[in-house]
Amino acid sequence: MSARTAPLFILPAFLLYAAFVVIPILQVVGYSFFAWDNGIAQDFIGFANYARLGSDQIFWAALWHNAIWVVLTLAFPLLAGLLLASILAERGPRTVQIMSAIYFIPRTIPLVVAGIIWGWIYNPLFGLLNYGLDLVGLGNLAGAWLAEEGTALLSLNVVGAWTFFGFCVVIYLGAIQSIDPSLYEAAEIDGAKWWRKFCDLTVPLLKNTTFFLGLYAAIEAMRFFDLIWVTTQGGPGYATEVLTTHVYKTFFLVGDFGYAAALSVVLLVIVLGLSAISFRLTRA
Amino acid sequence: MKRSIWTAPLALVFATQAIAQDAVVVTQWDQFAQSGISAAGPAMDELIASCQPALNGASVLRTVAPSIGIRDSYRLAVSAGKTPDLAYTWPAASVLAGYARVGALAPLDEYYAKYGWDQVNPFYKGRNSYDGKAYGLPMEQDLMGVYYNKELFKENGLSVPKTYAEFQALAETLKGKDIIPIAFGNRDRWPATNTFSLILGLTAGRALEEKVLFGDEPWTNPTFVQAAQTFQDWAKADYFPRGFNGVGYDEANALFLSGKAAMTVTGTWVLQDMIRGADFDMGVFMLPPISADVPPGTMWGEGSQWQLSATSTPAVRNAAAAYLNCLVSPESRQIWVQKGHSVPIGTTPEELAAWGADPVVQEFFTAGLATPDANFYDLHTTLPESVTQVLYPELQRLAGGDASPEDFLASLQAAWAAADANGERWRP
Amino acid sequence: MTNFNKHMRTMVLALFALYALAPVYLVVLASMRSESDLFDGPLSLPWPINTANFHRVWSESGFATFFFNSLKISVSVTVLVLLTAPLAGYAFAKMRFRGREPLFALFLAGLVVPAPSVIVALYGNLQWLGLIDSHLGVILPQTALLLPFAVFMMRTVMQEVPDELIEAATMDGAKPLYAFLTVVVPLARPGLMSMTLIVFLFSWQEYLLPLVVLQTETLKTITVGAASLQGRYGVDYGGIAAAGLIAFAPLVVLFLLMQRSFVRGLTAGAVK
Repeated sequence: MSARTAPLFILPAFLLYAAFVVIPILQVVGYSFFAWDNGIAQDFIGFANYARLGSDQIFWAALWHNAIWVVLTLAFPLLAGLLLASILAERGPRTVQIMSAIYFIPRTIPLVVAGIIWGWIYNPLFGLLNYGLDLVGLGNLAGAWLAEEGTALLSLNVVGAWTFFGFCVVIYLGAIQSIDPSLYEAAEIDGAKWWRKFCDLTVPLLKNTTFFLGLYAAIEAMRFFDLIWVTTQGGPGYATEVLTTHVYKTFFLVGDFGYAAALSVVLLVIVLGLSAISFRLTRA
Repeated sequence: MKRSIWTAPLALVFATQAIAQDAVVVTQWDQFAQSGISAAGPAMDELIASCQPALNGASVLRTVAPSIGIRDSYRLAVSAGKTPDLAYTWPAASVLAGYARVGALAPLDEYYAKYGWDQVNPFYKGRNSYDGKAYGLPMEQDLMGVYYNKELFKENGLSVPKTYAEFQALAETLKGKDIIPIAFGNRDRWPATNTFSLILGLTAGRALEEKVLFGDEPWTNPTFVQAAQTFQDWAKADYFPRGFNGVGYDEANALFLSGKAAMTVTGTWVLQDMIRGADFDMGVFMLPPISADVPPGTMWGEGSQWQLSATSTPAVRNAAAAYLNCLVSPESRQIWVQKGHSVPIGTTPEELAAWGADPVVQEFFTAGLATPDANFYDLHTTLPESVTQVLYPELQRLAGGDASPEDFLASLQAAWAAADANGERWRP
Repeated sequence: MTNFNKHMRTMVLALFALYALAPVYLVVLASMRSESDLFDGPLSLPWPINTANFHRVWSESGFATFFFNSLKISVSVTVLVLLTAPLAGYAFAKMRFRGREPLFALFLAGLVVPAPSVIVALYGNLQWLGLIDSHLGVILPQTALLLPFAVFMMRTVMQEVPDELIEAATMDGAKPLYAFLTVVVPLARPGLMSMTLIVFLFSWQEYLLPLVVLQTETLKTITVGAASLQGRYGVDYGGIAAAGLIAFAPLVVLFLLMQRSFVRGLTAGAVK
């Protein structure tokens, strides 16, 4: 029975998925082997579009920025999420609910709007960050946060973290609540301080959750686009260029479909590779 | 009896002709917003109505696309082979040439011959041609100039500079009084191309620009290096507000309008917004030549141009051309000026005065139109997109002090050579 | 760090609450400021509170239209996902058939596909289908892009439905679809609720697809509208803040009302 009905159950989802995701991906692979002029396919050129990757400085800069983004995300929102969840875990249910709601609110805000809000905070003319620094007598630290090559990517990552750390708190909380409380009780009897319990119990026990969130963060770091597009469009210079903005510019602004397709394929290979590796690791 | 035999087929002929004419629909993409402070959409609708006779029964079906988006939307339409019959889009030069190269556009030479269109001077005609054929009818006229706050100038005993040295002295004086000399914001990436194009033209002159664009002169020539150096010097000397690469174009304009900056260097496309927004006495002047051997002039270009799809039927093309001829007629130009908040190509300072244009509009165009032979190119409406997309980030780096003038021009030269090898160079 | 006592830990909680809420507070403040002069004290309290900014963006800048466009698209996407993903998830969880694993792997791969990388081909396809500049042109691809997540989540949810109940229903001679609707769906209701909320959230937040597909002003969504306000109205920051608030307030309210369901959905995908 199942053998006959299963395809029917899957068919509607499969048709949509195939038509608007699978087929376009196959097409993109095909596109990448042609030369294009103003969006019109010209000659078959084999791997020539891929050969351009080597000397494309922007591509390597973008890839590097994606990598930095992954590391920054692992370093800050993940750690903050773990710490906050551990602190919250020992509070009353009411506190847990309220605080995790507060932390999660930024995640419900569309990244476009988050970008606009933080754009004001960082604005060199009237930004609240510089204003606040002035107010507390640290005016000499004021800067043009998103407008300087040295600080742009880092400043944007603070925005990314803002929308992400609450998600980490929620996930970690769920995992902590499934830890056997007797482990903590035993540690307490031994007189372990909070910090010891955090390092010796919580962190190792949540290894799998950390791994999941790390993978999630890494894939999101390869995919994100909205935040950069509404704030810096990859600038100043190429300081916040990432693979997705490079694809977007090559496709929409330059109109070089072949190279944009090649870049897309590289992007896909990276994210699929990442998830395949981690899939293997979790199986093992 | 005889009569009816004759009249019946005749009636039929007329009837089918009427149907055929009714069926002629010209699809049009334009950028004239229907609402907003300086919206030209209502003027466009009024002109479609008043150009009915020229349309001769055909009808116009408008789609409004915002001017930022139309540039990309049109390219995608070309790629899909679904261009509208008539589009009012930008830029011309290399980008227009690209569309002509892939056969997306219909040549307009027969219409230029039929209707004259003499207001389009050789500079503009060239920008709208490729390989000897015309593909665009430019309409709006854009000029670059310096807006200044007359009251701030007066309070500080300053006057309009006659030479570049005077301009520099002026900026220094303003800085000394804690006034930002030039409101400049380049977060949107394109504003610097206008500023740099102006500096480049006044340093190198149109003749050298054309040697680079059409000849073999490299971008890295010493005069271009000097222009890039000048632009970087402006930034280094704090002519611009702090963190200008993070300031939006509109924020920069607001900074000028708030009286915190004395000048802003930009084009006529924001004239109406500036006039409406300024609660002080505002004036305009042209930046004096930077090199001694370059004549006075300014950066100019068409705001946008009309172009016809190659896939339209001859009937549609003819109707569209007749309609375009009406849109650029003196009567229509008066409507553009009075209700459309723009100044079409061919409009003289005398006409602007007669049609009651704002004094600042008159001042701006009188100055800009006085130097037609020396006026020069705007880079990002002239270069192929592949070069423009290098120009944008590289200008941010140049102004931000992250790239030297030599590095900046070397990047442009590399992008230019790649585009040239790829057949993207525009040849009028 | 040895004496990281309870008070310090509470401080940490509070500090991060400030980090989360301060930007939101600033937007609320800016949206209610009558004189939106951005060059003067940005922290000055808006008094009297005024709603002119909301009126202006809602009725004059077309945000009423943007809002309802977003609503239409998000509801349509959610309904389409609801109609397709639970069925597929159920089949993957409970039915045995040839090619189940590779097919599921194909869906799984979609979990990580970045929208910008399909758009190169998607755009041309939509144009060919005549779906460019139409809401359907956003709804269908967006549903497709969200399906891997939804199918994955539904499979997890459906796996928890006891086999005996399904067997009992089919034993009684019920058709598979009937058994699914009468036995499985009621049991999976909390999971379905979570998925609905999350799909709606993701769909509402989407920016790239509507940005690329929609050209006509009156068809645009609230995210695209909010982003385009930045340049178009100069420095009307009160207006932009009000627009931003309109864009995210429904999501915040929805989240606060349905927090439990949201969290269940998020952790369901994560912890497994």
